[in-house]
Amino acid sequence: MKKLPFFLLVAALAAVLAVGLAACGGGSSTTGTSPSTSEGGSEGGGEAEGGGKEGGTLKGAYTSFPDYMDPQISYTAEGWTAMRPVYVPLLTYKAASEEEGAEIIPGLAKELPKVTNGGKTYTMFLREGLKYSNGEPIKAGDFKYAVERCFLTNSGGSPFYTDIVGAEQFSKTKKGGISGIKVNEKTGEIVINLEKPRGTFPNELALMFVAPIPQKTPAEDQSAHPIPASGPYYLTKSEPGRGWEYERNPYWAKDNGKQMTEIPSGHVDKIEIEVLRNQSTQVNDVESGKLNWIFDPPPTDRYQEVKEKFEGTQFRIEPTISTYYFWMNETQEPFNNQKVREAVNYAVDPAALERVYTGQIKGTQQILPPGMPGYEKIELFPHDVKKAKELIAESGVKDKEVTVWTDSESPNNDAGTYYQGVLNEIGLKAELKILNPDNYFTVIGNRSTPNLDTGFSDWFEDYPHPNDFFDILLNGESIQDTNNQNFSQTNVPALNEKIDKLAEEQLGPQQEKEYAELDKAFMEHAAWAPYGTRTLSLFVSENINLETAIWNPTFETELTSLEFKE
Amino acid sequence: MPPESEKQGTEAPIPTGTGALDAGLGIESDGARVVEAEAGDGRQAGGPWRIAGRRLRRNKVALFSLAIFFLIVICCLLAPVWANHVADTGPNTTHTLEKLHVNGEVREVVEPSGKAIGPQWFEAGGKFFLGADGHLGRDEMVRLLYGGRSSLFIGIVAALITTLLAVTLGLLSGYYGGLTDTFISRIMDVIWSFPVVLLGIALGIALAVGGLKLGPIHLKSSSLWIPTLIIGVVYTPYMARPLRGEILALREKEFIEAAVAQGASDRRIMFIELLPNLLSTIIVFFTLNIANNMLLEATLSYLGAGVQPPSSSWGTMISEGFDALYSQPILTIIPGTAILLTVLSVNVFGDGLRDALDPKSKVRFEARAGTAAEMDNPV
Repeated sequence: MKKLPFFLLVAALAAVLAVGLAACGGGSSTTGTSPSTSEGGSEGGGEAEGGGKEGGTLKGAYTSFPDYMDPQISYTAEGWTAMRPVYVPLLTYKAASEEEGAEIIPGLAKELPKVTNGGKTYTMFLREGLKYSNGEPIKAGDFKYAVERCFLTNSGGSPFYTDIVGAEQFSKTKKGGISGIKVNEKTGEIVINLEKPRGTFPNELALMFVAPIPQKTPAEDQSAHPIPASGPYYLTKSEPGRGWEYERNPYWAKDNGKQMTEIPSGHVDKIEIEVLRNQSTQVNDVESGKLNWIFDPPPTDRYQEVKEKFEGTQFRIEPTISTYYFWMNETQEPFNNQKVREAVNYAVDPAALERVYTGQIKGTQQILPPGMPGYEKIELFPHDVKKAKELIAESGVKDKEVTVWTDSESPNNDAGTYYQGVLNEIGLKAELKILNPDNYFTVIGNRSTPNLDTGFSDWFEDYPHPNDFFDILLNGESIQDTNNQNFSQTNVPALNEKIDKLAEEQLGPQQEKEYAELDKAFMEHAAWAPYGTRTLSLFVSENINLETAIWNPTFETELTSLEFKE
Repeated sequence: MPPESEKQGTEAPIPTGTGALDAGLGIESDGARVVEAEAGDGRQAGGPWRIAGRRLRRNKVALFSLAIFFLIVICCLLAPVWANHVADTGPNTTHTLEKLHVNGEVREVVEPSGKAIGPQWFEAGGKFFLGADGHLGRDEMVRLLYGGRSSLFIGIVAALITTLLAVTLGLLSGYYGGLTDTFISRIMDVIWSFPVVLLGIALGIALAVGGLKLGPIHLKSSSLWIPTLIIGVVYTPYMARPLRGEILALREKEFIEAAVAQGASDRRIMFIELLPNLLSTIIVFFTLNIANNMLLEATLSYLGAGVQPPSSSWGTMISEGFDALYSQPILTIIPGTAILLTVLSVNVFGDGLRDALDPKSKVRFEARAGTAAEMDNPV
C-alpha cells in the first residue's frame, strides 16, 4: 500500500516539473524535448512563451540553394538566414526586429570589445567552456583561423578585414597567418590591431564571415560537409541543390546557451529545408500546411492574393534596408554628362516602378534607404519628363545609343524594359540586354565588358551602417576591374575623402548627419537614379505563430523564433 | 556557246529526267501508269507535279490549313495598321500609370497591385483589345501581332537557311562521296550529337551579350537574325542527312550514268539532274521545318535565348505571361494558341503536301476517294 502513494507522488512531481520546464521554454532555455517527426511539419513538445509549443519539426523551402553553406564564404541573404542559428560570431546582432535588430551584442565574446589605441586596437575575451556541436572546445585561435580562412577561400567578405595588420599581406601570400590578430588560448583573450581606425569594424565582427570554426576545417567550400556548430542548432545534412536539415546542438543547452542568454535557443527540435523551384507550389504547400515557412516571398503573380487572404494571420510584410537603382556609367558618353544623369533622374518615375514591382518596393530617390542610420528623406528630382527632355536637348546627346543592362529575374527584367522605354522617350536610343541573374553581376562587374552604359542594380545592407552603401558602391577608390560594385564608376575625390574620413569614425549623431549630407551630395551629382526600397514578406503555415516570428533587418527570418501554435 | 557535251546534256535529261523525277517522287516506273489512269478518268492528264497538284486540291483539310496559315500571316503583316490606327500604341510602349476611359468609367491599365487590365475587346475602340501584358501595361494585341511577325520571320527564314545549307551540303556530300562526304558528315554528326534545344540555348546565350561578329557582318544581340541563324544552323543536319541518303541512291541511277557518259559537268549533274529529283522531299521538309522552327523559337525565347526583350515573339510572350500564369492565364494562352494554330496549320498542310507528292500515300488517298480502280486494274 505504501508503495503506491509514493509512486504516485513521484509521478505527480515529475509531471509538475515537466509542465514547469516546458512553460519556461521559449526564449532561452529549451532542454530535453525529444524530436518527433512526421509528414508536414509535426508538432510536439511543451508550451513556449507566447502560447507556442516547444518541439516538433519545422519544414521550410527555399527557391534555390544558398550560394554556400559555409560561414566564411556565403555572402547572400539566403546563406545568412540559413546559418544564423548555426554559427555565432564573437559579436552578433540581437535577434529582434527593426532598429532593435541592428543592436550589436556579445556572441561568443564575453562582452563588447574594448577599443583602444585611437580606434586601432580591439580587445575581447572568449567565453569559457564553449563547445562545438561535436563536443570540441571552442578556442580563441578559432576566430583567427576564421578570419584567415576568409582570405584562404577568397571570400567575398574578405575586404571587410583587410585593415587588420598583416591581412593585406596574408591575402597575397596566403602564408604565415595574420600578424594583427593575437590570441591567448589560456585566457581566451583576442586582440585585433588595425592599420587605421575603422568605424564599421564592430559591425564587421558581427558578420558570419568571422564566426569561429574548428581549425582543422579545410580551407575550401564545406557546403556539402557541414562544419560543427557553435549556435543552438547544427546541420545534420546539407545537400547542395536539394536541401539541408538541422537538429538542436546538444552542447548548446549544456554549455553555450547558458552563457549566451541573449541568443534564442529556438523552439523546434528539427528543421528541414528543401529546395523547391516553383514558388507557386511553395505557396500552395504553405496554404495546405505541408510547409511551415518559405524563405522567398510569394511570386508576384500570387502576392496580392496571399496578402489579401493571409495578412495578419499567416502573412506579414517586412521592410528591408535596401536600395534599388539604375546606375549610369560616368566614365563614358552620354552619362559622363551630369545633365544627362539629371535628366534620367527626372524621367524615372518611382510610382510606375512601384507597380512594376507589384507594390513590393516603396519609391525613394536617394542612396540611403529608410531605416538606415543617416537616412533623411530627400527628393531632388520630382518626376518631370518635359524637364528631362529639355536637359537631354541641352546636353547635345540626343539619339545617342546606350545599352541598358538588367537581369532576367522578374520583375527586374520588367524594370529594365521600363527604363529602356524611359530613355527612348527622353531622346536616347536604348538597347536592352537581359542576362541570367546567376552571372549578371559578374558581367556588369567586369569593366572590360563592352557597352556598360547603364542598368539595374540593388543593394541590401551587409550591416546597419551607412558606410556600407557608400564605400563599396560609390567610393572611387573601390573601383575594380573585376567584381566591381561601383557600377556607375563614380569617382568624386572630395566625396571619396569624405567617405574615407567617416569610415574611420564611430557612428554617432554627428556622423549620421554627415552621412545624410553625403547622401544629398551624391544625389546632387546624380550618380544613380534610385527608385525604391524593397519590402519582403514572411509567410508561414496556419499552425505557426506569426506574432512571435522575428524579422531581423540583416538576417531576415530568425529561424529560432518560429514556433508551432498551441 | 556551250561545248557540245553540255548541249547534249541539256537534252539528255528529258527522257531520263522524267523517270528520275518520278523516282524523286517515289513513283518511278509507275509514273506513266498513273498518268494514264488519271487520263482514263476523264481528267486532264499531266506530269507528276500536276497530279500532285490535283491531289492536293482534293485534300480539303490541307487547303483549309493553308488558308488559316495565310490568314495568320496577313494579320501579322497588318500589325502596324492595327497599332497605328486602332490601338494607337507601339508593341513596346509601356502604359504603367495610364488610365483608360471605357463607357464613362476610368480603368487603370495597371492596378497599384501590378495586375494588368484584361481584354477590352472593342469597348475602348480596340485599345487593349486583348488586355495589357502584366506590370508594364503594353497592349497585348499589338504585341501578339508584332510577335507573330517575329515568329513567322524566324520560322520561314530559318527554314530557308536550313534548306539552303542542307541542300548544298547534301548534294556535295552525296554526290562526291569519299573525303568530302566524310568531312561534311562528321560535321553534321557533331551538330547532330547535341540536343537541338541545348545547342540553341548555348548559342543563344553566348551571342546574347556581344552579338555576332563575322568579318564585316555585325549583328546586335537584339537582332532577330541571331535566333534565325541559330535555328537555321541547328536543324541543318536533320535535313541534310536524309537528302544525302537520297542522293547516294539517285547517283547510282541510269539517268545519272547517262549524264556522266554525256560529259555533263558535276555542277550540272548536281543542280540540273539531281536537284529536281529532290524537290518533293525538299518542299515537304521545308514546310515541316517552318513549324519546327517556330516551336524552337518559342522554346528558346521562353528560356531567354531566342528573341531578346523588349521585342516580342510568341515565345517571349509566353515567357512573360508565365509570370502571371495564376492570375492572368490569358497572357500565356493567347500566344500559346497562336503558336498552336500556326504550327498545326503548317504541319497539316505539310502532311497534305507529302501525301500529294508521295504515291504510296496517293494509294491511300485515292482509295479513300473511291478511285482505287487503277490499283485493282493496272494498265
